[in-house]
Amino acid sequence: MDAIVLWLTSLFPQMAVPTARLIVHIVYAAILSFVAPVVLVVAFTYMERKVIARIQDRVGPNRAGPLGMLQGFADAIKMLTKEDITPAGADRIVYNLAPGLAVIGVVLVFAVLPVAPGVIGTDLSIGILYVVAVGGIGTMAVLMAGWSSNNKYALLSAFRVVAQLVAYEIPMVIAIIIVVLTAGSMRMGDIIAAQNVPFLFTLPVAFFIFFVANIAEIGRSPFDLLEAESEIIAGFHVEYSGMKFAFFFIGEYMHLFVSAGIATTLFLGGWRGPGASEASILGALLGFVYFLAKTVLLIFAMMWVRGTFPRFRIDHLLDFGWKFLVPVGLLTLVAVALVLKLPFLSSPVLQWVGLLVANVAVIVVALAAVSLAARRTRSVALRSVAGAER
Amino acid sequence: MNNPTIEKLKTQFPDAVQDVSEFRGDAVVTLSRETLLDAARFLRDDPDLQYNLLVDLTSVDRRDLGIEPRFATVYELYSIPKNHRVRLKVPLPWDDATEMPECPSVTEVWPAANWHEREAYDLMGIEFAGHPWLRRILMPDNWVGHPLRKDYPLGGEPVYFTADREDPRFAHLGRQTMEGPSYPSELPEGVDSETHLVINMGPQHPATHGVLRLAVELEGERIVSANPDIGYLHSGFEKTGENRRYEKFIPYTDRMDYLAGMNNNLAYVLTVEKLLGVEVPPRAQYIRVILAELQRIASHLFWLATHAHDVSGTIHSLLMYCLRERERILDIFEMFCGARLTTTGMSVGGLRRDIPGAFPDAVRAFVRDFRGYLKEYEAMLTDNPIWLSRLKGIGVLKADDAIALGVTGPMLRAAGISFDLRKAQPYSSYDHFDFDIPTATESDSYARYLVRLREMEQSLRIVEQAINRLPGGPVRTDDRKVAPPPREEIDRSMESLIHHFKLYTEGYKPPVGEVYGMAENPKGVLGFYLVSDGSAIPYRLRVRGPSFVNLQATNLLAQGHLLSDLVTLIGSIDIVLGEVDR
Repeated sequence: MDAIVLWLTSLFPQMAVPTARLIVHIVYAAILSFVAPVVLVVAFTYMERKVIARIQDRVGPNRAGPLGMLQGFADAIKMLTKEDITPAGADRIVYNLAPGLAVIGVVLVFAVLPVAPGVIGTDLSIGILYVVAVGGIGTMAVLMAGWSSNNKYALLSAFRVVAQLVAYEIPMVIAIIIVVLTAGSMRMGDIIAAQNVPFLFTLPVAFFIFFVANIAEIGRSPFDLLEAESEIIAGFHVEYSGMKFAFFFIGEYMHLFVSAGIATTLFLGGWRGPGASEASILGALLGFVYFLAKTVLLIFAMMWVRGTFPRFRIDHLLDFGWKFLVPVGLLTLVAVALVLKLPFLSSPVLQWVGLLVANVAVIVVALAAVSLAARRTRSVALRSVAGAER
Repeated sequence: MNNPTIEKLKTQFPDAVQDVSEFRGDAVVTLSRETLLDAARFLRDDPDLQYNLLVDLTSVDRRDLGIEPRFATVYELYSIPKNHRVRLKVPLPWDDATEMPECPSVTEVWPAANWHEREAYDLMGIEFAGHPWLRRILMPDNWVGHPLRKDYPLGGEPVYFTADREDPRFAHLGRQTMEGPSYPSELPEGVDSETHLVINMGPQHPATHGVLRLAVELEGERIVSANPDIGYLHSGFEKTGENRRYEKFIPYTDRMDYLAGMNNNLAYVLTVEKLLGVEVPPRAQYIRVILAELQRIASHLFWLATHAHDVSGTIHSLLMYCLRERERILDIFEMFCGARLTTTGMSVGGLRRDIPGAFPDAVRAFVRDFRGYLKEYEAMLTDNPIWLSRLKGIGVLKADDAIALGVTGPMLRAAGISFDLRKAQPYSSYDHFDFDIPTATESDSYARYLVRLREMEQSLRIVEQAINRLPGGPVRTDDRKVAPPPREEIDRSMESLIHHFKLYTEGYKPPVGEVYGMAENPKGVLGFYLVSDGSAIPYRLRVRGPSFVNLQATNLLAQGHLLSDLVTLIGSIDIVLGEVDR
């Protein structure tokens, strides 16, 4: 971004550097808040539908445009022409505010997302803390939508969303703390710089916790309880139509991208890769490609899970969050903190190995505890089914 | 006639047994109204009799038969431990002073009678004294009259639509745009809408498998009660059947449980054949078994698909996988009779035509491939921890409760009762084949899941044996009074031409009498009760849909579970609303 500022000032010699910086940032913000939603939603709905279709032995969208690639635009046009409905008895102000908030909450996160070397809205010193703080706005939007719709199903969904997001915010924060501890900073740039070996390989447990909590945070299958259409129809957005519904939709798919992007930054080394550097435009582009590739890979994994997993029940979901993810997270946190302070692990390589060993040890302990618990409650259903009356 | 049941009843209630008759092996005991409850308790509790399953409860309006008194209730009883049946008939003396004839309710003896009695009250206008909540069940609450009475005309009722009443475009529809009289909606008894959240699940809801409405009383997300409200799809199949020739009702049976058309066809034609006393050639019987078992697999596949879909959310892949295999079964049906869903695949006296040459190979190929697919499904679900946690311990229906509620089919077998009519009272040469009845003891949703999966395996075994041992010969009876003669015979024989003419202008006329036919459908016991007055049209046609009876268990199953479990439960009961409402 500094390169662009320099280029601008060289192009217009009379322009001051702060002015050029302001212009660049305004343009970047405009791209993020107006272009990115459209591009991301169209791209990822298409990708999701194609991926799920392949998993399910179907073809997927193939009518609009070549290979159905314009399907997203067709859907957008359809959404725009739909009637805008407000249910009787709805709390109008809150009801109309909620869809906007759902998108704003996600767009705000973009501000600290390093999408390419040097390209970041603002490299806050508390970058990752900001992400967690702003993430709460999305929850608020869902709660507001569910509450104001004057619909019992939406209300149930609002109950669920509070329980679920509180339960999964905590393991997510623990996973983030582990990363911050290891990187020694909350600044996104520093976290990326610290990953000479991506944290995925040194902190696999933290990655797993973050990934699962992330899926729950976005509310995707198998944690899609807040919009479980077979139970509570569509949950919080059951009464929304047209563009207001589309806003939730946009919010969801941007959230998908953003959270995968954060996971990439925290665990996969962000834009880092061979040849990616801040020095040249080419290096920056290469970094952007790396970032995109890693993010799409994570998104693909989430879609894969979505296509093949049954849905959790609300109490099982809370159990899993509180009784498994949180203890395992805390255990890892302690283990990582210890390893980092061990005096004989002075060289980075030794420290990586130490972290990995600590993580593997946590996995072993956790699995042993789970299988012990499972053995205690396992019933004999499988064995009891037998062909009687032979 | 030395039926031990009748002997016992006669000695126990010497004054009450008014008449005993037998027709085509069905024993009918006519009892007086006053002793019905005592006799019912005796039949259920006597150690030699143990009639624990009330298969069906219905009623007959005998106005046109010229029998007094006009109304009678009919109880079809079956003893699972003793494997015998008896039918009770209770004439209801009625003076026109009272609005409806009265009959004591047997709900305290067999809780299964609850909905049956409501249906008889609704459609026939019989008051059941002692019924816990006697309300209309299929017709709207404000309906006038009782459709199954013989003095109730077929058609001609005004249809009320409130929509578009003022619209000039619909003016020509005249009376159809009248406003319906409004009536207060009523919550089921005991529902507390002050302190609990009452939500209307359905009639338009993705997980209710059709137009089922559940008034669900919630405390938080925990279910206090879940009361099914049915009848949205009621289309009067029984009344229609009483105005059609026997053969003409077969297409209607397809449309009851539309996922198991072949099984419905089979149950119905078996009942009519029993009434006529017709023998079906062995080849036709074997082909019927193949079709029925393939249909059972198709029905279970659809159940598995939608069940996984309900439990998991929009896009669980199993939905598509199961439908892919079901498609192949439907292709086989298409090969046989040209139809895929509403097959009308069987006809009275056998089959309309023989199987095409490519049929056996297609069936064999399917059986071979499907074994592998079944393993694939199991790999996806059987040991999946989320699937286990969603199904295990959900909706436990103990064997005693299940039998008392009249629940049959996989739900009963998952409770450890090895009851399957294909074994207990073999029909259509099911006794020629070697197969097991899968059972489980947990009686929860997971047990029902496992039982249905194992049943698919057993069905494959039956299909394989039948296709490999398929006998030759004709596929239709040579009784010219029932089945038309072959085309070339009409050219040669005057007699055949006359038979052909009579059959298509008048139809066949069974002798006067009544039979009850049952068959094991994918969802449970499907029963048909036919009363013949000697004409070509059934005098009384009654359908006992397994979905209708099994659905009664919903409230018992759901209590104390979470709202999410209700979806699992509806799936694991496996209902088709077309059959529930008929």
